[in-house]
Amino acid sequence: MTGTDDLIRAIVADARPVRRLASPFLRAAEWLGFALIVVTVVTVSFGLRDDLAAKLSEPVFVLELVAVGLTAITVALAAFCLSLPDRSRFWLLLPVPAVLVWLSTVGYGCLTNWIALGPGGPATAISPRCFATAVLTSVPLAALLLRMLRHAGPTRPIETAMAGALAIAALTTGGLRLFHDLDPTVVVLGWSFGTTLTFTAMGGLFITKGSERRVLR
Amino acid sequence: MDGCRPSNPSSGSCADVNADWTTLMARAQKGDRRAYATLLQDLAPYIRSLSRRYFGAETDVEDSLQDVLLTMHGIRYTYDPCRPFGPWIVAIARRRFVDRLRRGGRIRAREVPLTGHLETLAAPNSMGHHVDLDRAVLHAAIQALPAAQRRAVELLRLRELSLREASAESGIKQGALRVALHRAIRSLRQALAMR
Repeated sequence: MTGTDDLIRAIVADARPVRRLASPFLRAAEWLGFALIVVTVVTVSFGLRDDLAAKLSEPVFVLELVAVGLTAITVALAAFCLSLPDRSRFWLLLPVPAVLVWLSTVGYGCLTNWIALGPGGPATAISPRCFATAVLTSVPLAALLLRMLRHAGPTRPIETAMAGALAIAALTTGGLRLFHDLDPTVVVLGWSFGTTLTFTAMGGLFITKGSERRVLR
Repeated sequence: MDGCRPSNPSSGSCADVNADWTTLMARAQKGDRRAYATLLQDLAPYIRSLSRRYFGAETDVEDSLQDVLLTMHGIRYTYDPCRPFGPWIVAIARRRFVDRLRRGGRIRAREVPLTGHLETLAAPNSMGHHVDLDRAVLHAAIQALPAAQRRAVELLRLRELSLREASAESGIKQGALRVALHRAIRSLRQALAMR
């Protein structure tokens, strides 16, 4: 076919040296390192919660923090592996145990809040400060992650975006739990997921289109 | 090879050929155009054969092959020569094929292809007798409308004036013209449906 032969000639003419991607483990570690810096900066800026010492003596709170941390690490690793065409789709299962533990602690938090506050309690309260910190944490993480995972556009955009959004949500929620003394965890989780999913969906769409344009240019 | 040997792909008996592909791709990543050209020429028939399992039409096969080659070129930096080349290129190809099938399904669900039959119907003079007949029926229906409605149809539809122009010419308010036109079209629709 003449069209394909012409295309091959055009592709070969465009064949500049490229820098190979580093191992997904290394790249996930780089992103998590950046995330640690961001969460630390935001935590220092807003200050740790007053009752942190007391909360750290509660097994459920510690378990939630550990689960959130493990979720962030495993799901970030899954996102970087899923972004490569030849890696197994089963990487998506890696964070499942940590996510289940995290969600179960959220459920426990809701139950205890419901018992303490009653059905008429302020179940949907959210502070602007909480929202601001969620955005300040998640936006830089999402921006860097989208840049690092942009090659997933033509192959696995949805799975990669899902894993990336969950990683950012876990880190944002973990950060919020350290410097916010609000305990309605479903609200915190909802805002974290909502914010990060929105940014990731917008970015994912942009990157998929950008990737197609780059390929076709 | 940056400290790693090209490994054989998992896909089957032509391991030597695919090991060559691994080497060629590693060289292509360093900018070796000759190696890249050889790799692409070798890959084209293989991807074409994969594509034939998904698509029936030869144009789809060729378009999907070109899509795979372009995608591979765009993300060639994601290939790790320490890993087999076969699963990498096959994964890209399958994903592009599936995306193409989905896109085709969406297009088929929402669009109707233009056929020669429709072109014949739309061509001038091809249905001249019926056009004349329809024109006469429509003209009679318009003449049967009340005067205000007939005036609105003449100004706004037959002469294609704007509401403002029609109002200025007839001295009728724009709102009254709009109402008269609405009633006229409803009456015409009923009259033509009864026919």
